[in-house]
Amino acid sequence: MEVLREKVEEEEEAEREEAAEWAEWARMEKMMRPVEVRKEEITLKQETLRDLEKKLSEIQITVSAELPAFTKDTIDISKLPISYKTNTPKEEHLLQVADNFSRQYSHLCPDRVPLFLHPLNECEVPKFVSTTLRPTLMPYPELYNWDSCAQFVSDFLTMVPLPDPLKPTIKKEEKVLPKKYTIKPPRDLCSRFEQEQEVKKQQEIRAQEKKRLREEEERLMEAEKAKPDALHGLRVHSWVLVLSGKREVPENFFIDPFTGHSYSTQDEHFLGIESLWNHKNYWINMQDCWNCCKDLIFDLGDPVRWEYMLLGTDKSQLSLTEEDDSGINDEDDVENLGKEDEDKSFDMPHSWVEQIEISPEAFETRCPNGKKVIQYKRAKLEKWAPYLNSNGLVSRLTTYEDLQCTNILEIKEWYQNREDMLELKHINKTTDLKTDYFKPGHPQALRVHSYKSMQPEMDRVIEFYETARVDGLMKREETPRTMTEYYQGRPDFLSYRHASFGPRVKKLTLSSAESNPRPIVKITERFFRNPAKPAEEDVAERVFLVAEERIQLRYHCREDHITASKREFLRRTEVDSKGNKIIMTPDMCISFEVEPMEHTKKLLYQYEAMMHLKREEKLSRHQVWESELEVLEILKLREEEEAAHTLTISIYDTKRNEKSKEYREAMERMMHEEHLRQVETQLDYLAPFLAQLPPGEKLTCWQAVRLKDECLSDFKQRLINKANLIQARFEKETQELQKKQQWYQENQVTLTPEDEDLYLSYCSQAMFRIRILEQRLNRHKELAPLKYLALEEKLYKDPRLGELQKIFA
Amino acid sequence: MNQPCNSMEPRVMDDDMLKLAVGDQGPQEEAGQLAKQEGILFKDVLSLQLDFRNILRIDNLWQFENLRKLQLDNNIIEKIEGLENLAHLVWLDLSFNNIETIEGLDTLVNLEDLSLFNNRISKIDSLDALVKLQVLSLGNNRIDNMMNIIYLRRFKCLRTLSLSRNPISEAEDYKMFICAYLPDLMYLDYRRIDDHTASVSLSVSQPCETDSSSPQKKLAEAKHQYSIDELKHQENLMQAQLEDEQAQREELEKHKTAFVEHLNGSFLFDSMYAEDSEGNNLSYLPGVGELLETYKDKFVIICVNIFEYGLKQQEKRKTELDTFSECVREAIQENQEQGKRKIAKFEEKHLSSLSAIREELELPNIEKMILECSADISELFDALMTLEMQLVEQLEETINMFERNIVDMVGLFIENVQSLMAQCRDLENHHHEKLLEISISTLEKIVEGDLDEDLPNDLRALFVDKDTIVNAVGASHDIHLLKIDNREDELVTRINSWCTRLIDRIHKDEIMRNRKRVKEINQYIDHMQSELDNLECGDILD
Repeated sequence: MEVLREKVEEEEEAEREEAAEWAEWARMEKMMRPVEVRKEEITLKQETLRDLEKKLSEIQITVSAELPAFTKDTIDISKLPISYKTNTPKEEHLLQVADNFSRQYSHLCPDRVPLFLHPLNECEVPKFVSTTLRPTLMPYPELYNWDSCAQFVSDFLTMVPLPDPLKPTIKKEEKVLPKKYTIKPPRDLCSRFEQEQEVKKQQEIRAQEKKRLREEEERLMEAEKAKPDALHGLRVHSWVLVLSGKREVPENFFIDPFTGHSYSTQDEHFLGIESLWNHKNYWINMQDCWNCCKDLIFDLGDPVRWEYMLLGTDKSQLSLTEEDDSGINDEDDVENLGKEDEDKSFDMPHSWVEQIEISPEAFETRCPNGKKVIQYKRAKLEKWAPYLNSNGLVSRLTTYEDLQCTNILEIKEWYQNREDMLELKHINKTTDLKTDYFKPGHPQALRVHSYKSMQPEMDRVIEFYETARVDGLMKREETPRTMTEYYQGRPDFLSYRHASFGPRVKKLTLSSAESNPRPIVKITERFFRNPAKPAEEDVAERVFLVAEERIQLRYHCREDHITASKREFLRRTEVDSKGNKIIMTPDMCISFEVEPMEHTKKLLYQYEAMMHLKREEKLSRHQVWESELEVLEILKLREEEEAAHTLTISIYDTKRNEKSKEYREAMERMMHEEHLRQVETQLDYLAPFLAQLPPGEKLTCWQAVRLKDECLSDFKQRLINKANLIQARFEKETQELQKKQQWYQENQVTLTPEDEDLYLSYCSQAMFRIRILEQRLNRHKELAPLKYLALEEKLYKDPRLGELQKIFA
Repeated sequence: MNQPCNSMEPRVMDDDMLKLAVGDQGPQEEAGQLAKQEGILFKDVLSLQLDFRNILRIDNLWQFENLRKLQLDNNIIEKIEGLENLAHLVWLDLSFNNIETIEGLDTLVNLEDLSLFNNRISKIDSLDALVKLQVLSLGNNRIDNMMNIIYLRRFKCLRTLSLSRNPISEAEDYKMFICAYLPDLMYLDYRRIDDHTASVSLSVSQPCETDSSSPQKKLAEAKHQYSIDELKHQENLMQAQLEDEQAQREELEKHKTAFVEHLNGSFLFDSMYAEDSEGNNLSYLPGVGELLETYKDKFVIICVNIFEYGLKQQEKRKTELDTFSECVREAIQENQEQGKRKIAKFEEKHLSSLSAIREELELPNIEKMILECSADISELFDALMTLEMQLVEQLEETINMFERNIVDMVGLFIENVQSLMAQCRDLENHHHEKLLEISISTLEKIVEGDLDEDLPNDLRALFVDKDTIVNAVGASHDIHLLKIDNREDELVTRINSWCTRLIDRIHKDEIMRNRKRVKEINQYIDHMQSELDNLECGDILD
């Protein structure tokens, strides 16, 4: 219920073109919003062609007058700019105009509800509604078009029910009343009386339903809609009207700010319109709304249908509508009607609100705190901003069995930016079946994984992106006793493999390290037709009955045949009467051939075929075994992924991408250091001398000359010192070397080879040092005069010594 | 077996030798026992090795129809022969023999790998049939003419060639030459071309001023640029000519199927005058030239009419036939699908009942179930046969309808052509009358002696009297009419025979199909029944 700062903002956005409707107690009201809406601003927007372009991506700020007490707590008024707290003379003038207008209005139409003209803003200052709108262009492309923009606004809004669903502007009224007491009361009373009567009539029903209603109110609007609404036609709501004409908007339509959905102006939920406004003007609907909004004509230039408040701005809008002529006529009509209340040239003052600013974070977060819960009938939708949940959950839809939302039917969870590419998790609570959907890119090429438990060898179906797999596996179905795999696009044309398992044999020898795979009872494999082989040699299906040592083959059907060849091999390792091993007997291969062939009758052929099949059987068994292992691996991987649920971060996301953040920070640090260094190098050569003089005074000519001379002489001294230093070092090195040489010559005979080596290395190093010093000295000698001249030059040009220039100029 | 070849007398490839070889090289171990038990047929052998056997003459190989690989190396064969039946041969090794000429390979169209290493061959020849040749080994022979290489250009698949130790390999630009003329070659003399670029390009004594680092192939190409270009040009010309001829043949074939070939021009008219010496002579008469010209024009127009009409009709017949075959195929397909479904359903049921029988212990029950099974089988038989009979009836009706239509079409076509031909005849008659008129007037002139122009002697010889000239003109006329009649007859006969053949074929095909299907069904049912019977026996035995 808290109204946050965002809330204001969001509402501000809602009004780019808004047609607000004040539901009239009698006729105009909206069924659609059974929930009482605290409406703070009504924005009426007339969209003309040019406006529309801007407005769809514009945001206007409205701060409404009657923020309930809690707003004051949450909004720090002191920080708001001055325009929020006071009214400019022009605004004051406008308010008077508005009051005048409203008086006349209530005089002419005593039985209509008071106008919503100048609600109080958060600083308790009355502000004219139109000035709460400020067209603003936002930097987000998503906010450029109405649909995504409306979606954003609806996400951004938090709905706070009004204390009284029928009275949106209590405070405003109170505020207005003291001023213009005389005219308002009858109108006000009238409406109140009507309301009370209405209320009384339905009092009993309401009392009964009150409790339920309140519960339902917080829930789904549909649920409520199902019941007769006690407040039907009395509720007040404001929404956006987009007028056709600009930016290829073909026809007028409404946008509901709470859902972000668009509705046709014919929609029967919108029972009528009291008034409209945009940032330029304010119109009152003079048309009859007995048939909802269906008969309304949104030609705002027509003063008979739409009574405008300000004349000056009206014109410009008219000219933008198609009927320019009528606009001019209107003007005349207005005058004839004697509506001379205000200065005709009076323009709407500039909006007093600050330009809305949506930070990228807030934009991405969308909803207040990044979370939003929407209740529907028997369903609940929760939304989160991306990266808000550490597991990447962005939305969750829970459907319930009953209206009270206690028994969950199923849960759907959508994820984003998951590293395991999980996209959607679907949990069916009644069957307890969980289904995970993945986007392309999972390391195991998963597409769909539905399961009841993560234990292996249970019911599960795994679908894969077959193009991402080497073996072309599309789907693997498992039950406790079987495993079925479907393939596509394999070079060996395998399309289907079904394996059924027998109960696991208990192993007595406990070699715990080895796995104990279930014995395979039967493997069925099916193949697509291989066009390179003749049909009678192309196996369509082969069944390995492992336990019975039986292999059944069924071949493909030839194009002009209806029967297919079959062959059955039975492997019996027996010993004949003489004790010889029987290798192959004709009864070991029973075959039916569509067109009997010579060579297949041969035992050798059959033997070779059988041997081949034996090898194939081994391979297939191995394959099945590997598939089982793969399932285990997938399950393990899935568990790990679920536990870790790491999220991917785009390399362009500089905020979240740690690496790029580090890099950027390092770069920034480097830049900073570089900058510091540069500053250092630009040490002020005049600083020590200037310090001697009184600060802040301009140098006299004499002072400047003296400063310059001092600086130069100082520099000269430095150069000389440096030269001397180098010279001294040079001499020292030379002397040392000479000493060493002497010592060497004296002791040459007695030296050990190590000492000699030491000496020689010292010599070469010393020589090197001496040479370098010599070079430096020479260089210094060369450069010193140049440096001196350069400094002199600099000093002449130094602005602080500007006096010097004058002398030399 | 592998004794040095000089220590043995030449041996004959007889049955024993082959059997021995087949047995040795056949399956081993258990399979070998089986093979021995039932023997191996020569036509099942895929690979045969007959090396170091001192064979002088290739013989007795005709049974090895399916042989893929044959090794006859290290023998003393002098002549390639006796390989005509080995059409599936892919791999043939005749190295280390005494062969002098390449021959006898014309039927081995599948050959990919041919080795004639270490023989006495001096000319590459007679290999035209080996379009799939990939590897050719001719090393250590006596090939001495570089032009043999050009012969190898026709083998588009040839990738590996060995010609080392031949007289031509001594030539200094031997490799260059081969690379230039056989650009698709990958390996020459056991080495990959391009790999030894450097050595080759350095060894070239007179390189044509190319960059020495450029690949060998380029170098070679540059060197033999002119001759190769010429060769290529010739080859292209030949190719184009061949294609032209092919296209013409196809066009003519198309016209022939429309039965109106050579009618799209003056061919018929020309042929009328080809054997007509009198007519030709008469054309020199004054005024006949123009007459003939207009006659020819009109005649050709009618011919072209016939031609175009024929093509159109042919198109129509073709669409008719296509529609018919399409429909028949669809019907058969649909029928097959039905049959397949029936069988699949049956098999499912049959299988389960069979396993039920196996598990059943009570004998009376078993018998009952077996009875049920055979009832199922006969039911399936009935169903399948009904389907087939139904299809036969349907097809028969369709075929008859098609037959009627096509006969009608042909009849209409003949009728129209005949009327057009009659126009031709009218023209001829007209022309004849005119010619006769002119002839007689000319004769009169000649008789009266006031003919101005000179006539050729042959022609003048005709104008002796009226009978002669009338006869001459008549003869010419007869010849023309005969030609026209012949053409017409030919057309009519051919189209009629085409029609009859077509109808016959359709009927025959249908009958064949029907018999095949009935046979198939019977076979299947028999198999099922016998399987069931066997089961019965087995169970009773148990």
